[in-house]
Amino acid sequence: MTPSTHRRYTLTWRLLDGIERAAAVVWPRRLHAHTGYLLLTPAVLLVGLLVIGLGYMAEYSLRELDLATYRLVEDYSLTNYQTLIDRPVYTRVFLRTLWAAILVTAISLALAFPYAYVMVRTGSARLRKLLLIALFLPFFIGQVVRAYGWLIVLGNEGLINTALTGLGLPRLDLIYNYPAVIFGLTQYMLPFAVLMIVPAVAAIGEDVELASEGLGANWLQTFRHVVLPMAKPGFIGAGVVVFTLTLTDFAMPEILGGGTSDFIASSIYDSFFQISDFGLGAAIALVLVAIGSLLAIAIFILVGTGTLGVTDERGRRAG
Amino acid sequence: MSRRFILPRRRFLQGTAGLAGTAALGTGLVSKPMSALAQDRPAEIIVRVWGGAWGDAMRAGVADPFTEMTGIPVRFDFTEDNEIRPRIWAAVDQGRVPPIHVNWDTTTNATISALRGVTVDLSDLPNLDGLLPLHEPVGLEGYPLVNTYAYVYVCAYRPEAFPDGPPQSWRVMLDPQFRGRIALYDDGIGFNPIAVIAGGGTLDDIPDNMEPGYEFYRQLRENQPLLGEDPDFTAWFQNGEIDLACTISVNARAARQSGINVEWTVPEEGCKVDTDGLWVPQGLPENEEYWAKEYVNFALSREAQERWCSLLGLPPVYPGLAPPEDLVGDPAYPTTEEDFAALVSIPSPTLVANQPIWFQNFQEIFQG
Repeated sequence: MTPSTHRRYTLTWRLLDGIERAAAVVWPRRLHAHTGYLLLTPAVLLVGLLVIGLGYMAEYSLRELDLATYRLVEDYSLTNYQTLIDRPVYTRVFLRTLWAAILVTAISLALAFPYAYVMVRTGSARLRKLLLIALFLPFFIGQVVRAYGWLIVLGNEGLINTALTGLGLPRLDLIYNYPAVIFGLTQYMLPFAVLMIVPAVAAIGEDVELASEGLGANWLQTFRHVVLPMAKPGFIGAGVVVFTLTLTDFAMPEILGGGTSDFIASSIYDSFFQISDFGLGAAIALVLVAIGSLLAIAIFILVGTGTLGVTDERGRRAG
Repeated sequence: MSRRFILPRRRFLQGTAGLAGTAALGTGLVSKPMSALAQDRPAEIIVRVWGGAWGDAMRAGVADPFTEMTGIPVRFDFTEDNEIRPRIWAAVDQGRVPPIHVNWDTTTNATISALRGVTVDLSDLPNLDGLLPLHEPVGLEGYPLVNTYAYVYVCAYRPEAFPDGPPQSWRVMLDPQFRGRIALYDDGIGFNPIAVIAGGGTLDDIPDNMEPGYEFYRQLRENQPLLGEDPDFTAWFQNGEIDLACTISVNARAARQSGINVEWTVPEEGCKVDTDGLWVPQGLPENEEYWAKEYVNFALSREAQERWCSLLGLPPVYPGLAPPEDLVGDPAYPTTEEDFAALVSIPSPTLVANQPIWFQNFQEIFQG
C-alpha cells in the first residue's frame, strides 16, 4: 500500500465514520429495533394525505347544496345520504357497477390463469417473449385510446360489421351497451390479472407437479388439488386488484356504454361537475370507498392475508 | 388582410381609451392607473374554449385578430366547461390566481358562477353599447357575464333515413325504426323543455310540471337513445351510428361542412334557443384582468362578432349583421323577434334553479 492510497482510504474511513456518528445522533442505537417503522413512514404519510382528503370529503358530504348561491350550506345534515337512498337511480347504478366488477373479475381470472401458466411453464423462450410482449404492450396504450380503438373495430361501420355485411349478414350492435363495457373492461384488466398471477404460478415448483403425477394423479387432479390451491395467493391478489379497479372505472363505461350504462364513478363526476353538487358527489364517493374497502376486508377475513404470501415473524402464514 | 383590421384596431384603441377613462373616473380606488395597466401587457391571455369548429371559430374570429392588434398571444384551454368551473371556484375561494383569464361558457353555467360570486363585473366595457338585448344577463345585477350570440338545439338528421322529407315532429324519436339510432345530450340539456311539449305539455308547464317531459323520456328510453357530448354527435353521424339527434346547429353544420350528409330542421314543437357568453374570473393580477376584459370587449366588436359568429353560423348580439349565405332564412338562425318567438326560450334563472333537478330526473329515467 502506497502512502497516497493509505491517505485516500483513511479519508474514506473518516468520512464513513462521520456518517455513522451523524446517523447515531439522528437515529440512536436504542431505536434500531424500530427501523422497520421508519421505512414505513413514506407510505404512512401518503396514506395519511389520502385520509385527510377523505376527511374533507366526509365534511362536504354532510352539507347540502344551496341553489341560490351554488355553495354548500354551513349546517350539517344527512340529506345527501338520504338522497342516495331515496333516488333508485343510485342503487341501480351501484348494483350495475358491482355486477360488472364481479363479472370482469371472474372472466379476467379465468382467462389470466392459463396465460400465466403457459408463460411460466413453456419451454420455448420465443413463446415466453411473445407472451411477455403481448402482456406489456397494452400498458403502453392508455385506457381511453383502447376504448376508442374498440369503437373503430366494433362500430357500425367497423371491422366486424363490415365483414358481416360483406358476407350478407345483418349488422350487430356491438357497442354502446353493457356487454361492450364488460368486454372493454375485461380486455383492460386482463394484463393486471396475469401480472398478479404469474409470481404465484412461478412459485409452484415443477417438481411438485411431477410428484403429484408420480403418485398417480392425472393432469386434471394435479391441476385441481395442487396447482390451483398453491396459486391461490395470485388469484386473491389479482381478484382484489381487478375488482377494485373495475369498481371505480370511469372511462370504459363512458366511452363504450353510449351514455346509458354509467358506472358509479360517472355519478360522482356528474355530481361534482355537471350539477356542481360537491356534497352529493362526496357522499357517493365515500359510499363507493366504503363498499370497496368492506369487500376487500371481507375477502382477507375469509381467505386470510396469508394467501398473499404474508407471513408472521415465525414464518407462519398470517391470517 | 391588414386592411381588414385597420378599423378594428382603431375601434379597439378607442375602446381601450374609453374603458380606461370610464374605469379611472368611476373608481377612485384603482391601485394602478388604467394607462399603466394598458402598458403592462401579460405574456399571454388564456381563454377556455370548446374544441373543434367552436375553437376554430374563436381562433379566427377573435383570438388571432386580438393578438394582431395587441401583440398579446392568446392560448386556448380546452378543459371541459364543467371541469374548469370548480377549478376557478376553488382558486377564487382560496385567493389563488385562477387558471384562465376568460371563460367561454354557456349562459346557464356562467350565471351559476355569477351567483357564486366569482366573476368580474363587465359593465364598463365600451362595446356593450348598442348591442341587441340578447347580450344582457338575466336576473343578475350588472354584467357578471355578457352573452355573445344565440344558438339553437336543432333536430339534426341523416337525409337517407328520412326519404319523405325532414322530420315534422320530435315524436319521430319514438318510432321503433330508429331504435338505438337517436342521440341526446347526456344531461338532457337542450331537450328538457322540448320533451315537455313533445310529451303533450305546454311551455307554461315549465318548470312546475315537467311530468309530460319525463313521460316522453320514459317512452324514448325504450328506443335506446345514445347519450353524449358535442364531439360524439359528429362522430356518430360520421360512423353511421345514428339517424337523428338533438344537437346545436353548429355541430350539424360543422359535420355537413366536413362532408357528412347531415341536415337539420325545427320540428313543430320548436327547438330550444339559448345563449353562450364570456366572463372573467376574479383573482387575476390587475393588468391581466384589464387585458382579459379587453379581450371580451373585442369579442363584442362588430368585426369580431361578424367573423366569429359567421364561422359558427350563429346569430350574434351585434345588430344588423347578415347571416352566412347557407343560413339565410334558416329557422335555426333567428334574427327577428318573430324568429325567436317560434323557438323555445327558458330564462336563465329558471334553468339555473332547475337544471340539477331536471338532470337528476333525466338520469333516473335513462340510467335505470
